[in-house]
Amino acid sequence: MSNRVAIVGAGISRFDNPRFELHEELCAEAVQEMLADNPNIEYPKDIDAVMYSYFSDHLAGQLCFHWIIHDYLGLLPKPAYRVESGGATPVDALINAFMYIKSGIFKNVLIVGWEKMSELNTPKVNEMIAAASDTDWDFPVGGYYTGYYAVLETRHMHLYGETEEDLAKIAVKNHNNATFNPYAQWRSQHGTTFITIDDVFKSRIISWPYRALNCAMISDGGACMLLASEETANKFTDSPVWITGIGLGTDTMRPGDRVDNPMYKGLYPEDEALYPDVSTKPASPYPEMANFGSMRTSGDMAYKMAGIDNPVKQLDFAELFNPYDGVELVEYEDLRFCKLGEGKKIVREGITEWGGELPCQLSGAHTAAGHPVGATSIAQATQIYWQLTEQTANKWKTNARALSGAQRAMLQGHGGTGCQSGVIIFERG
Amino acid sequence: MTYRPKKIVDALEYNRKWDEWARQGNWSPVGWRWVEGSKGHRLDQISSTNYLVIQRPHASVYHHSYGMISKFFKGLLEKKFYGTKCPKCGLTFCPPRAHCWNPGCRIQETEWVELPLRGEVFTFSPMAFSATPFLKTLPFIIAYIRVEGCCTTVPTRLIKINPWEVYPGLKVNIHFTDRTKGDIMDLYCTPAETPDPSKCMMTPEGIERLKNDMRKVRDWVVKKFGSEAKPSIDI
Repeated sequence: MSNRVAIVGAGISRFDNPRFELHEELCAEAVQEMLADNPNIEYPKDIDAVMYSYFSDHLAGQLCFHWIIHDYLGLLPKPAYRVESGGATPVDALINAFMYIKSGIFKNVLIVGWEKMSELNTPKVNEMIAAASDTDWDFPVGGYYTGYYAVLETRHMHLYGETEEDLAKIAVKNHNNATFNPYAQWRSQHGTTFITIDDVFKSRIISWPYRALNCAMISDGGACMLLASEETANKFTDSPVWITGIGLGTDTMRPGDRVDNPMYKGLYPEDEALYPDVSTKPASPYPEMANFGSMRTSGDMAYKMAGIDNPVKQLDFAELFNPYDGVELVEYEDLRFCKLGEGKKIVREGITEWGGELPCQLSGAHTAAGHPVGATSIAQATQIYWQLTEQTANKWKTNARALSGAQRAMLQGHGGTGCQSGVIIFERG
Repeated sequence: MTYRPKKIVDALEYNRKWDEWARQGNWSPVGWRWVEGSKGHRLDQISSTNYLVIQRPHASVYHHSYGMISKFFKGLLEKKFYGTKCPKCGLTFCPPRAHCWNPGCRIQETEWVELPLRGEVFTFSPMAFSATPFLKTLPFIIAYIRVEGCCTTVPTRLIKINPWEVYPGLKVNIHFTDRTKGDIMDLYCTPAETPDPSKCMMTPEGIERLKNDMRKVRDWVVKKFGSEAKPSIDI
């Protein structure tokens, strides 16, 4: 079980809306890029098994889509497995592939993720995604994911006092990062001009406090990654990126159930002690509806495995799950970049900006690079891989967001309203 | 006794026009277009090409059982408000759970209790967009209400209040709609107290922005749906 696991190749099929190519053609583009970048991969001989990542059968009207992709990529009769856990689907696929290799049964596992969300109009896409909420309770009152995250963010604002300006500042950071990313939907649809806080405030309100520029895009796109065991990694590359920590965590399906949740009660006493007096203390003061307990649990597990006790100092950059800008702010707290309630300080001090101590979302991530659900975290992991192997300047044709000498990074992904979270720590060899 | 279940789809009374509606959305193309699009996996490698796009509807009627918490929804039809209570630990659930989730209770079955039609806002959001079925009722406020004595919160619509006046902790009354139909929308809330302006969550500029936003959304809904539009927030 001491066998380490490395990234040895990766590719992205750019995110946009629409991409007219078929789902399998998007996946083929991503795999093509990986194979072009790494001629040492004997394809398909070197692939022992494939982990497929896509979220919604409803969006495509097609179940078991991975069987279509699998034969299209010429991978028969190799083992294939599909993962689905909402927004956590791609991070889950990466973690499952890692565990496949750790089990010793497979040496090299390919992960392929994609989503095509352009086949339905915007309210219908929101309806299909809302089918991943409790359809007896949260959906029938007019709920949908922006709405659920909005009520959670309202609660966090009430307790800890961040403002609409703080959220807008996160939007500005991520959109401006995406203007350099040649795989980003924002750059395709908007160009390379920077935006300002005022642009965020002028964008259409969706669910207060969220406006269009605070929200994940509806996207088509694909991504892939090849993970290999320590035994085989050297065959593929002299510069592998190792996975040194993984973590998983869960919270309730219905966000409204988190108030007095007995399963979280007493788990994080230091946070419970920080509960502000603006509200009556619920039985489960952390995370209640303001924070994401699943992220704390998954982050702590991964930090422990990777030997991290001060993430801001010990990580060089991170790609977080940011479907809505308040989520990124709250994650700063849940992933221990700061104390509970101090997420707004991280924003105001620019710690996660380009040039800050811990840049986050250099790709632009969900709100600006795009969010084809099954592909998103795999594409973020690919961008991490390129940064840690110093390929970003070449891939992006600019060094505007290319780090030099970065050693260690974090990927965090989650599904639902933080119902499930996964964290991966990557380190260069 | 020999147990022979009736098929759920045969056991229900409902308007059969919905079966016809589901038959109409039958996966068969209703149109096509030859569309100009792009090809290329990076933005610096794009060329132009054409694609055939078809329109293909499909529809279904789900015959959904509310299982062991059916009493809650039957209660809504009869304008009674129920939750469940664990006889071991005393936690009271609304939304109800048929089994207690408290780790010490080992999946204990719960008991039904009648709940007061009172609670408080735990959190909320003014909605300016929604999934397809709810567009006509925009803009509206969703509030998660902690019903008095319960350990969880229920999503409901909150009316008769301006969106900038709402805050967590605001006391509300819970009501039934006139014509209940057996889902959570049979409930709605109104403020049970005059909102305290010192607890407002928005800045004066933020309030102005939101007022403008809400007017725009209301106008858009009225333009799109005409007499069918039912905005819940009027500004």
